[in-house]
Amino acid sequence: MTRDRRNFISGIAFLTPNILGVLTFVVFPVVFSFYMAFTNWDLTLHNQFKEDASIQFIGLDNFIELVTGDRFPRFLGNTLFFMMGIPFSVAASLIAAMLLSSDTRAGGGRNYLYLLSVIGLVAGVSLLSVLGMGSTAMTILLVGAAAGILLAGVTGGLTFYRTLFYTPHFVAGVATFILWKQLYAAKTGPVNLSLEPALSGLGGVVNTTPPAIYSTLFWVGLVLMLGLFYWGSAKLRRMLVDGDLGKGAAVVPFGLLLIPVVVGCIWGMTSHAWWLLSIGAVAILAYHAWVYSQRTDRFPAKASEGFGSGFVIALMVLVGQFVLLGLAPVFGALPAMADTTTGTGDGLTPPSWLTDVSWAKPALMIMGFWAAIGSNNMLLYLAALTNVPGELYEASNIDGASPLQRFWNVTWPQLAPTTFFILVMSTIAGLQGGFEMARVMTQGGPAGATTTLSYFIYEEGFETGRLGYASAVAWTLFLLIFSVTLFNWKFGNKYVND
Amino acid sequence: MKILFGVILAILVVASIGTYLSYPDTRSEVPVIYWVTDRNPARVEQVKRFHAWLEKNGHVDEQGRPLAELRLDMANRDQAKQIIQTVSGVASDVLDVGGGQAMRLFQRMEVIRDVTDAGLELGFDPSQTYRALEPDITLDGRQYMFPCNVSVRVLWVNEDLFKELGLEPVPDRWTVEEFERRGKEFMERANPPGTRPGDRRFFANFIDPEIIHRGMGVSVFNETLTASDLNDPRYISGLKLNYKWIYEDNILPTPDDTSAFVAEQGYGGPALSLFGSGNYALVSGGRYFLIRFREFDNLGQLRVVELPHGGFPNTIIATRAAVVYAGSDYPELAKLFLAYLASEDYNELIIEDADALPPNPAFTSSEAFLRPPDHPNEWGVHGRFVEMAEEIAIPRAYSPFVLSSVVNNRVNEYRDLYFADQITAEEAARRTAEEINTAIQDEIERKPELKPLYDERVALQAKIDAAFAEGRKVPEAWVLNPFYRQYYASKGMLILEELGDPAAASDAVPQDTAGGNTR
Repeated sequence: MTRDRRNFISGIAFLTPNILGVLTFVVFPVVFSFYMAFTNWDLTLHNQFKEDASIQFIGLDNFIELVTGDRFPRFLGNTLFFMMGIPFSVAASLIAAMLLSSDTRAGGGRNYLYLLSVIGLVAGVSLLSVLGMGSTAMTILLVGAAAGILLAGVTGGLTFYRTLFYTPHFVAGVATFILWKQLYAAKTGPVNLSLEPALSGLGGVVNTTPPAIYSTLFWVGLVLMLGLFYWGSAKLRRMLVDGDLGKGAAVVPFGLLLIPVVVGCIWGMTSHAWWLLSIGAVAILAYHAWVYSQRTDRFPAKASEGFGSGFVIALMVLVGQFVLLGLAPVFGALPAMADTTTGTGDGLTPPSWLTDVSWAKPALMIMGFWAAIGSNNMLLYLAALTNVPGELYEASNIDGASPLQRFWNVTWPQLAPTTFFILVMSTIAGLQGGFEMARVMTQGGPAGATTTLSYFIYEEGFETGRLGYASAVAWTLFLLIFSVTLFNWKFGNKYVND
Repeated sequence: MKILFGVILAILVVASIGTYLSYPDTRSEVPVIYWVTDRNPARVEQVKRFHAWLEKNGHVDEQGRPLAELRLDMANRDQAKQIIQTVSGVASDVLDVGGGQAMRLFQRMEVIRDVTDAGLELGFDPSQTYRALEPDITLDGRQYMFPCNVSVRVLWVNEDLFKELGLEPVPDRWTVEEFERRGKEFMERANPPGTRPGDRRFFANFIDPEIIHRGMGVSVFNETLTASDLNDPRYISGLKLNYKWIYEDNILPTPDDTSAFVAEQGYGGPALSLFGSGNYALVSGGRYFLIRFREFDNLGQLRVVELPHGGFPNTIIATRAAVVYAGSDYPELAKLFLAYLASEDYNELIIEDADALPPNPAFTSSEAFLRPPDHPNEWGVHGRFVEMAEEIAIPRAYSPFVLSSVVNNRVNEYRDLYFADQITAEEAARRTAEEINTAIQDEIERKPELKPLYDERVALQAKIDAAFAEGRKVPEAWVLNPFYRQYYASKGMLILEELGDPAAASDAVPQDTAGGNTR
């Protein structure tokens, strides 16, 4: 036996346990589940104890049921809703990383600033307490914690803050979920105990302010939403003019921008403003079309050119539009909610976070947002920030750039590959996630409001025994993740490299 | 490197063999059967008593040793685990399941054994337990399980709290109207202005919605279990009543009220601690609550009363029961364990531990059960449980055409939406019934073998509807839903004697109860 052959056999011997493990526990189940997605495999019909247990190939039936039924689209909607928090989470990780890149123990000036903040906090709360406001135990506890953190930062510096911010990541998930469940307790939880005085104060202010102001704010919110629509479509128009976006590729981004407008026209809370939204949107589109037609300096572009960039921009604007669309009716409804005299409302009270159908999803999103701030994303950004060449900052300083310009023209482009990676990973995690928190905190409720696709797969597979159908859901989820990731790589990568 | 690899492998093999040989628990001279059950210290004594019972009853080998050694498996009680293990052929010999719902799932999967013949032979047939439980432990006339213990839902009363507040004691049987009136009175007295959320007192912790709508005369399924009956004004009234009690009168706590309490979890959940601390005047549950109540120092005289009714007093009877795994290597020994559950030895333990009702009612007339010497404050309680089990207890209804988990899911989902003011009670009822009926049709489409039975039952349902519409009684055997069977019997709408020809239904039904909403 030659030496090479002997080495090869030894190498294979070392690798065999691992290869066998991967083949048995990864490759085989994956291939098997793919086959099962096209069968009627149901544990109540097919198992070794059944006499006629032949599993039948049913083609695309599972997938058809999945699309035509109302549960899969609903739970996909829940999953996508949770994913709307991703841009905010990424931004928060970046801000946290940037804060943690600056030395908090650098010298006397900063220390004085911290001490001054603590004194300001304590004095402010003492004053509020004397005036009979803000004297709840929770307010004092929170202010005390904030002061403690500031003071610890003076002595511990960056190490202290980095440890503190990274804490969510190394605390076990289930423990965190139980903790948040307590934090969210509607009547005794710290979140609502802190909100209570603030909302009570706000309620007083609302009650003493003319209601017309709030109804005006409702309209202002919708106008701002249209403003965002204008900004997004103007951006797309400029890309069309500059040849960065092909005509064919512009259809979907423009369509995305129109979704919040359409939702606003049919949603019960805003439908009475349909005329403003529809006339506004049509007018804006007509204006852009007219401006576009007047430009003679248009650069030609392929029909499919720039689809990714246009799509990403439209997606970002869409999230902003939805936020404004959600906030506008809140302002409009404020006077009725705060009114304690006519019986139409019971004052501004903190929400029932986990037991209210409307609040359960935002509650879990906020928790996810908290976890994301101190996650691996923050560490990745921290590492990336240290790799930004110092000479670029020096050059920008010489050019007289403001801190904001420095960030926008130096830091942000340098962080693009990291941002891209984080977005890809967050999207994958977002589509796959939600099982643990739904299982521990809400059991998928109330009324299925927090059931995500991963939880749905568990329910169908292990509670009703429909493994074929559950496999179909799992593979659809895979296809979704794969498409989004492919899209990210195809368009996002180009965007990063540009 | 190769030598090192080989040495490590050899060490691992030797260590594995050494561990196996030095671990006495893995070896036994008699067959070992495993029992999947919950984490309860009482199980250890129950196992010990089983071995003694085997010896006492002559189930021994030539050397006089018990025929089997029973071992506990407390790590696999979760139903999802049981499903996976049973279909994979690696489940334990005896499995504790959460009553008729789980049994029906496992029976459909054919992973559990029919124990009808063994039951008759070894003395654990349905006649050895409560009559009301028969529809729960049998399916199509065959027995698949025997209860480990039996739970009858009642309201536990904190008598001292009522005295302290100067309120008259609650009656043994009451209507929903009286419950509401007493509840409001209690809330007014028990919660002076300024009471903090965590100190608030509530009339009761929870009232099972199913008992309420059954009390009004409507079940989840129709008489033949082929469709949902929930799109009915009586179900809507029940929903509204529950909503009113929770969110308007607040005599029952909202989920937010519950989360405001800081209470020890323990066996049976935090409601028991809150009952002990006086935050709940009434707490809904079974006899097994005594396990915790006996730990409380200051709990005075205890009493149990029926849940409020809307015209038809009823309660839910349920069981934690044992089934025999189809893949067991020792099915005959596993069946002996079921026989043990019906024996005096086992029932005595359940009585002593107060772990719900003993499975065999034959032992509930003993002094040890009715008047346990160490617990005189419970003397009025035990007998009432048996009375309720015999008089008003009815198990839940299960349809062979849809999984109970799917039904519960839909019922809870739309009730949640109604409670969250997202839909009306009418819409909740309509959508719940629609979705359950859709699920039934989907199931039949997926499992065509169910179609003949379904068609047969639908035809029977048409006969029942026609008979009621014409004001005639129907034979008892036609009515397959255990609730309607008892409900109609109480209204005189059934022909109780065996009739050869079902078409012989002819007796007139009293006009006030025939057809329509009073059905």
